Amino acid sequence: MQASVKPVQTAAESQAPAQRIPLWIFRIAALLAGLAMFFPPVNPGRVSEKINEAASLFTTGVSYSTITNSMGRILRSQWIQDKDITLLMAACCILMVGVAACCVGACMSLGNRRMRKTGMILPIAGAPVMGVGLLLIHRVYTSIVQHAEEVGKTGTVLPILPEGFKVFVFFAALLLVTALMAFFTTRVRDDDEKMDMDEKYRLFLMMLPVILLSFIFAYLPIYGWRFAFFDYKPGGNIGPDNFVGFKWFASLFNDPATVSDLIRVLRNTLIMSGLGILTSWLPIAFAVLLAEIRSTRFQRVVQTLTTIPNFISWVLVYAIAICIFSTDGFINSFLTNVMHVAGAKTNYLQIADHTWLKMLLWGTWKGVGWSAIIYIAGIAGIDQQLYEAARVDGANRFRCIWHITIPGLMPTYMVMLLMSIAGILSNGMEQYLVFENAMNKDVIEVLDLYVYHIGIGQNQIPLSTVVGISKSLIGVTLLFGANGISKAIRGESII
Amino acid sequence: MSKKDSASPMHIKRSTGDWIFDIAVIILFSIFTFVCIFPFYYLLINTISDNDLVTSGKVNFIPLLKNAQGNGVFGIQVNNYIALRNVQDLGSSVVITVARTILGTALMVITSAWAGYLVTKQKMWKRSFWYRFLVITMYFNAGLVPWYMNMLMMGLTDNFLAYIIPGMVAPYNIILVKTYIESIPASLEESAIIDGAGTTKVWLKIILPLSVPILATIAIFGAVGNWNSFQDSLLLMNNSPSLYTLQHRLYIYLNSSSNLGAMMSQGGTVSEQAAASMLNQRVIQYTVSMVSIIPILLVYPFMQRFFVKGIMLGAVKG
Repeated sequence: MQASVKPVQTAAESQAPAQRIPLWIFRIAALLAGLAMFFPPVNPGRVSEKINEAASLFTTGVSYSTITNSMGRILRSQWIQDKDITLLMAACCILMVGVAACCVGACMSLGNRRMRKTGMILPIAGAPVMGVGLLLIHRVYTSIVQHAEEVGKTGTVLPILPEGFKVFVFFAALLLVTALMAFFTTRVRDDDEKMDMDEKYRLFLMMLPVILLSFIFAYLPIYGWRFAFFDYKPGGNIGPDNFVGFKWFASLFNDPATVSDLIRVLRNTLIMSGLGILTSWLPIAFAVLLAEIRSTRFQRVVQTLTTIPNFISWVLVYAIAICIFSTDGFINSFLTNVMHVAGAKTNYLQIADHTWLKMLLWGTWKGVGWSAIIYIAGIAGIDQQLYEAARVDGANRFRCIWHITIPGLMPTYMVMLLMSIAGILSNGMEQYLVFENAMNKDVIEVLDLYVYHIGIGQNQIPLSTVVGISKSLIGVTLLFGANGISKAIRGESII
Repeated sequence: MSKKDSASPMHIKRSTGDWIFDIAVIILFSIFTFVCIFPFYYLLINTISDNDLVTSGKVNFIPLLKNAQGNGVFGIQVNNYIALRNVQDLGSSVVITVARTILGTALMVITSAWAGYLVTKQKMWKRSFWYRFLVITMYFNAGLVPWYMNMLMMGLTDNFLAYIIPGMVAPYNIILVKTYIESIPASLEESAIIDGAGTTKVWLKIILPLSVPILATIAIFGAVGNWNSFQDSLLLMNNSPSLYTLQHRLYIYLNSSSNLGAMMSQGGTVSEQAAASMLNQRVIQYTVSMVSIIPILLVYPFMQRFFVKGIMLGAVKG
């Protein structure tokens, strides 16, 4: 790469603040404008309140069905004309082209002086394109207002000039001004090489799409935490009038119904996680005993067959549970037809007794063979000379296991144990969802399932968000706590 | 196992206690292995036996067909599998699941390979920050409902893309690829750079071919994960039954059946006729379950050789 041969002039170095500041404002504005395209609250194309609230600028530009799916009669009766919607989509696409040009310009601004200067041409052209798009959106808006007045349906069509419109006007102006400033303050000298970019920025730009995807799907949900502070109902709005502060947080401790629910699900959660932690030595026992068998073929067969359940979904585990334990499953038909027990018609899945134990057994059935693999690999990695030396000293196999194998596996086990303690509140919901029924509802509902039930099932968005936030924060605290313990004891971090 | 070579000294002095212990261990493992495998076998024989015999609970250990006297004799039939053609909505869910498995896995593998390679580049601007930015998402999530609201905001509800786009960035797999690439001798890459190859070309021509083993590992685990996916379908596809995944569809079938089963055991309200058809419906559900297990069993032999590699690499964290 040329970068390694000849140092390239980069944006960040050798520049006066007067040049740097507009450039940074420009980059940040371009990034925000780029993200805003996918952000429904600032959709400039929502020129009627009947346009889907969940549609972003991007969706408005590309999906006719999404923006019109809640219009129904308005569209059928042409109170909003089809040509307006088509024009709106075109306008949004033009606006997006402008934003995209600015974003490309922002990327190029990380290059050397010549590249930066060339790159600024894009936003200087792109910002006016954004302007054209915005003008067209405004025109659609006036046309919708006019048409709605003509048919006398202004009250139904509800034309608005959305907040997002102003936001994008602001972005377009800001991008244009800063790009012009950057363009005219950047002097390209004759001795500047051709367009080039320092490798560190080039690598960063290559990474950028991955970073953005991660941001959108893993970090942006945190923005949803705002629902915890509002009296939000699905389909409604959030604003100053339904801001409730920490009411929902307080309800975790004040509201009797919520408190009793929480105590119940926390009991289930902690008991089931606790049982899991108490039996977390099982995979070690599995691995140690398996290693004692001298036939490697037997070892391989056992390992192969006991790992299969790990790879089927919980729904399939439930299907298997039905075919073994239900009214006409294996147990009952075996009792009736082979053991000749009369009246064996119990549906074991409908019995709520010992639910915690049953869930533990299903989890063990599914996971123990798989969890043992890491220990089996660990045993294979133990120095064989240790065993030979111990045997010379007269140790029998049990002493070998106790003094060599088990200590050899302890570091791995400690990591697993600390991780499971950190995840004590998260036992997932799939297993409990599939096994849940009217009988065992009270004892099977764990925290994750509870959040699903109240959030998605009963649409109590704020309450379920509050529970989710608390769970996330406790989880992170536990993780860092476990990590701290691990650092203190083993001098090694687990994350 | 590498114990093989050291087994001989142990072999010399085996006491009676050792023999009893060995036999006990072998019996223990045989029982557990049986418990792990028998349900699959039982499910299978129930789908390939005569449905009347299944209904009356005669099929316990071997597949049976009726002979002329109506008694069960050993034999198999595949009519249930053919009958699946008529099961409502099953076809679309199979198509959706196959599509998401192929597309989702391919995109995830490419993204992991690309990101895993780039994060090994010390020269990248703020490399360690961005690496942590990706990795930290493994340990922290905003919660189910905020996640759902976010997907709603992104227009990814009732949308097939919701199955493949969010899964593209898989931090754990990025760590696996990164660790693997770091074990490739740096000289290979350097020589290509000296020959004038750029980052993309080095990735395509040097890194990708060399990291096939780890990519195969994450591909196969990713594919199984996609095939088994249930939760995203359940949460996001409320208004689009045609986009349900196979597991979601199976879940619906299973539940409609267990409700009928509950009604039955409480007595009398359902006629014999309905009971029989319910049980045939149950046979169909067994068959659908079998259909969703079979692909996993088919790739399973290929997966096995990646197990230890995948897990060990996971233990060597980034």
